[in-house]
Amino acid sequence: MSIEIVALIMFLSLVVLLFTGLPLAFVLGGLALVLSYFLWGANSMLLVAVQTWDVMNSYFLVAVPLYVFMANILQRSGIIEEMFEVMQIWFGPLRGGLAIGTIVICTIMAAMTGIVGAAVATMGILSLPAMLNRKYDKRIALGSICAGGTLGILIPPSVITIVYAVTAGVSIGKMFIGGILPGLLLSVLFISYIAIRCWLQPELGPAPSKDERAKYSLADKFFALKKIILPVLLIIGVLGSIYGGIATPTEAAGIGSLGAIICAALHRTLNWKNLNESVIETGKITAMILWITVGARCFISVFSAVGGDELVRDFVTGLAVNRWIIMIIIQLILVALGLFLDEIGIILLCVPIFIPIITELGFDPVWFGILFLINAQMDYITPPFGYTLFYLKGVAPEGVTMGDIYRSVIPFVIIQAIGLAICMIFPQIILWLPNMMK
Amino acid sequence: MHLLKACLHGIDRTNYWVARLVSWAVIILIATTVYEVIMRYLFNAPTIWVFEFNYLLNGPYFLLIGAYAFAINGHVNVDVFYGRLKPRAKAIIDLFTMPLFFFFIGMMLIYGGQFFLNALTFKEQLSSAWAPPVYPVKMIIPIAAALLLLQGIARYIRCLHLAITGREGEL
Repeated sequence: MSIEIVALIMFLSLVVLLFTGLPLAFVLGGLALVLSYFLWGANSMLLVAVQTWDVMNSYFLVAVPLYVFMANILQRSGIIEEMFEVMQIWFGPLRGGLAIGTIVICTIMAAMTGIVGAAVATMGILSLPAMLNRKYDKRIALGSICAGGTLGILIPPSVITIVYAVTAGVSIGKMFIGGILPGLLLSVLFISYIAIRCWLQPELGPAPSKDERAKYSLADKFFALKKIILPVLLIIGVLGSIYGGIATPTEAAGIGSLGAIICAALHRTLNWKNLNESVIETGKITAMILWITVGARCFISVFSAVGGDELVRDFVTGLAVNRWIIMIIIQLILVALGLFLDEIGIILLCVPIFIPIITELGFDPVWFGILFLINAQMDYITPPFGYTLFYLKGVAPEGVTMGDIYRSVIPFVIIQAIGLAICMIFPQIILWLPNMMK
Repeated sequence: MHLLKACLHGIDRTNYWVARLVSWAVIILIATTVYEVIMRYLFNAPTIWVFEFNYLLNGPYFLLIGAYAFAINGHVNVDVFYGRLKPRAKAIIDLFTMPLFFFFIGMMLIYGGQFFLNALTFKEQLSSAWAPPVYPVKMIIPIAAALLLLQGIARYIRCLHLAITGREGEL
């Protein structure tokens, strides 16, 4: 059989099998082995052991359970509820203030935990009822939660970033640091949009009455800030030690986890129930991610062995067009895949094939990775399959329909696209900080 | 039928407890990482073992929890269409797709086992200053595959039962 036909069979069976609902890890691994069996016989089956061993031997992947654990402890520590109170005191008096505050909290949460589902669910429970009580327009209320929640993908530490860095063979530290400015850029864009929109149309996010606004003095406001000192110190500690080269991202995660445990202890939420739940939840998420990694490594090794990766590379680089057009086509392919496939799966499958092309075209793989993460964020809020939309529907009070959520995110999807364009036109937004690292 | 139910339940419980136990390894990972950083910066005496120990622990950690994650549908799948189906329809589809799973995990069991035996025979060690033997870690590959295979068989029997009788949750 020719390479083209084998590669086509692999791709088509993958697409068909994915929709049958069999977990991604087993679709990838199973398909790889069945094909390998037909092509090279039983002797080639050792590849499954070799690929599994390869994943087991990755020091960088140790960062996955550590960051997931840190996130799980912090999420149960009560810190986020306290931050929500602080946010209400600071931003509540403004027009659209609760929505702005939601984005601010989501940004801080993103830097602490980075689990999208958790951020959306928490804000959906804390912030959404508060906004609806204050007669905020649903579009602003729902949209700000969905958009803010996805910041966890881009703003470090983030598990998707680790998987990208390991797969592309770039430094996790550089990827983490590279996500900071684009993440803050998006956060600022979201906030500006809400502020301007609510300033022009006060009925979208009405300010509270005058008495309400005078409830907290300036002293109260500053006193409230002490509640967020701990989480902010933790973030600075983790990211600062990576940036300064003091600790590897894995070590920073270990220290961060210890810090999270201490934070929880100081909040008196370090009990058996929270610890136990965090431990088992971490195990579950890590197993899910790393099993997909095993399956995807098997798939990619067979795909490369039949020459599929060269086929794609020759085809793409053979296109006699501007390198930027190729770059945009690749991004579009990733976005299209993201509409139904899990982001981690996309990275594990596409990045090994696309990275050589990207490098050959003279683009920076860190820059490309961050652009991909911004795309991934867009996938998370793009109707009809964006994950966050369903997370939010799951916790939203009655009377909020899927249609409301779909309509609410459209402006934010557009803002994301603008953010993506800005980062493509000005690569320094992404590359400036990582290039300053030694 | 009672015996079958007891067996399936036994598989669930086994994998649940394996996961409960193994998931505490994350605490060990944190402890060793912190220890390494303390030794390096406070005592200027970096260890030779933490780096390798951590990834040698991480592998068994995620592999062994795989079966439990499968039992509780914790492995991510594409549910755009699948998610909308009724339980019985899902069970029928699973009956057709699960052989792919069995092939993958079955091969992992057989060839992972071979892989382990090779390491054992040649007393393979990591080529580093610490030089730990690797066979105990490689042994986890067939063990994890066996646990996952059992969980898969349990699921297959349940799907078969649901597909034939249309009654949910009896097994």
